Amino acid sequence: MSTVPALSVKGLRSGYGRGGDIVCGIDLEQRPETILAVVGPNGSGKSTFVKTLAGLVPVRAGSIEVTGSNVTALSPAQRTAAGIAYVPQEGNVFRSMTVGENLKLATEFVRARAGAGLAQQSLILELFPEIANRRRLLAGNLSGGQRQMLAFACALLSNPEVLLLDEPSAGLSPKFVVEIMQTVLTTRKAGVTIVLVEQNVSAALAIADEVAVLVAGTVARHCPVAALADGELERLFLGRAA
Amino acid sequence: MIAQLILNGLVTGAIVALPALALTLTFAILKFPNFAIGAMLTMGAYCGWMLNALFGLSLPAATALAAGAMAIVAVAVDKLVFTHLRDREGLTLLVASMGVAFVLENVCRFAFGNDARNLDIAVARPIRWHGLRVNHEQVITGGAVVACLLVLFVIVRFTPLGRAMRAVADNPSLAAARGIERNVVVAVAWCLVGILCALAGTLIALDRAIDPLMGWNYQINVFAAAILGGLGSLFGAVIGALVIGVVEELSTLVIPTNYRQAIAFAMIVILLLLRPQGLFGKVAIRK
Repeated sequence: MSTVPALSVKGLRSGYGRGGDIVCGIDLEQRPETILAVVGPNGSGKSTFVKTLAGLVPVRAGSIEVTGSNVTALSPAQRTAAGIAYVPQEGNVFRSMTVGENLKLATEFVRARAGAGLAQQSLILELFPEIANRRRLLAGNLSGGQRQMLAFACALLSNPEVLLLDEPSAGLSPKFVVEIMQTVLTTRKAGVTIVLVEQNVSAALAIADEVAVLVAGTVARHCPVAALADGELERLFLGRAA
Repeated sequence: MIAQLILNGLVTGAIVALPALALTLTFAILKFPNFAIGAMLTMGAYCGWMLNALFGLSLPAATALAAGAMAIVAVAVDKLVFTHLRDREGLTLLVASMGVAFVLENVCRFAFGNDARNLDIAVARPIRWHGLRVNHEQVITGGAVVACLLVLFVIVRFTPLGRAMRAVADNPSLAAARGIERNVVVAVAWCLVGILCALAGTLIALDRAIDPLMGWNYQINVFAAAILGGLGSLFGAVIGALVIGVVEELSTLVIPTNYRQAIAFAMIVILLLLRPQGLFGKVAIRK
């Protein structure tokens, strides 16, 4: 395993428009081929953090490196080409386009990364039988779980180094939550580094290697999941001293 | 008589379909109703006239060069004005587009004056076909519009560029996360807007004189067509334009010709009351 961190974030600050910082100085490093669960109370800046990593929220200070390359100044499209794939919580597929068109778009503009085209596509679609035979269907007509699967497949098709998942289990049935988390594990085993933002803390910690607890836009705790003490998460979420 | 009116209406609608498509494109990708469409159409007509009547180019050559020139003008307008207002509210962009319309219109007025201008084309006898009187201009217009629509359909439906345009229209931030550079898509969309307006302006000039206010005469019809079809739907804009053209022509059977533009107004009002999403627009339902 490489010693260069897959993701390195230093002094990261970001926010929307002219408002105050939502992400207020995050420092963290993530080893390659690991799952980092990013958890925290509502409004702690988890989604803004991953959107900043994806380039959708402008960086105000600090730096972001992916496998040693500084991507801070890159546009979202350039970051995708640099190896970051992002699956948003909502609006994660092009609803007015067919499943097939969504899959095609996933590789069309990041060809340099996308690898073996159709061969890669069929390999990845084996992971997602729910969508593999629905290529002619409008993505907007899929169920929430199927849309999440499609979004996941599209992100994987770009052959990412780092996959950013923003609450992939939100609004899904327990069956789909299990399937999604299983797919996250399979993806990690295939060599992808995963940042998993989740409200469903128990589901996230069950598969994660490390956890970062965000409170008020900063990292209150970053450690291996096994190193979390009993009741520590509750104390951090509720803002109580240990 | 009715068949003749329907034919005339289809040709008029076909011309309106081009700027209606331009309006729909800007609305789908940039999320604002572009009030400068009429002025762009006027400037496109002047470009075609200048190349044809002043420089002696054939009509197809003049139209092609005018389309290229208007593509450059449209991209320049975006860089000078709309780039600085990107992601502002639609109302801000709408007001800005009104300003652009006044500037473009007055550039034409300053350069060419207020006098009416005509293309340098030979006058030919109309063709008689099954009792219908078909002008050569109508044949040229019909052919050019159908060819233009086919090319646009192929681009939007089957090419990576078209998929990128639809993706940006559907979900701009996801499109960025899929590696699509929004600025490139926006620039291409403005090129298409310029080309469509230049083509429409030159085709209108086949049938009438060019003056600095000619675009305003079509503005209401263009908006009515786009709204009727369901703003954002390219197919809807074409159908909307054809329906407006035919209904306007047929209305002359029952109301004086001078009032026929009121039909477009009336159709907008009726449609907004009965089917606000337009004929082919979709009601947004989030699961």
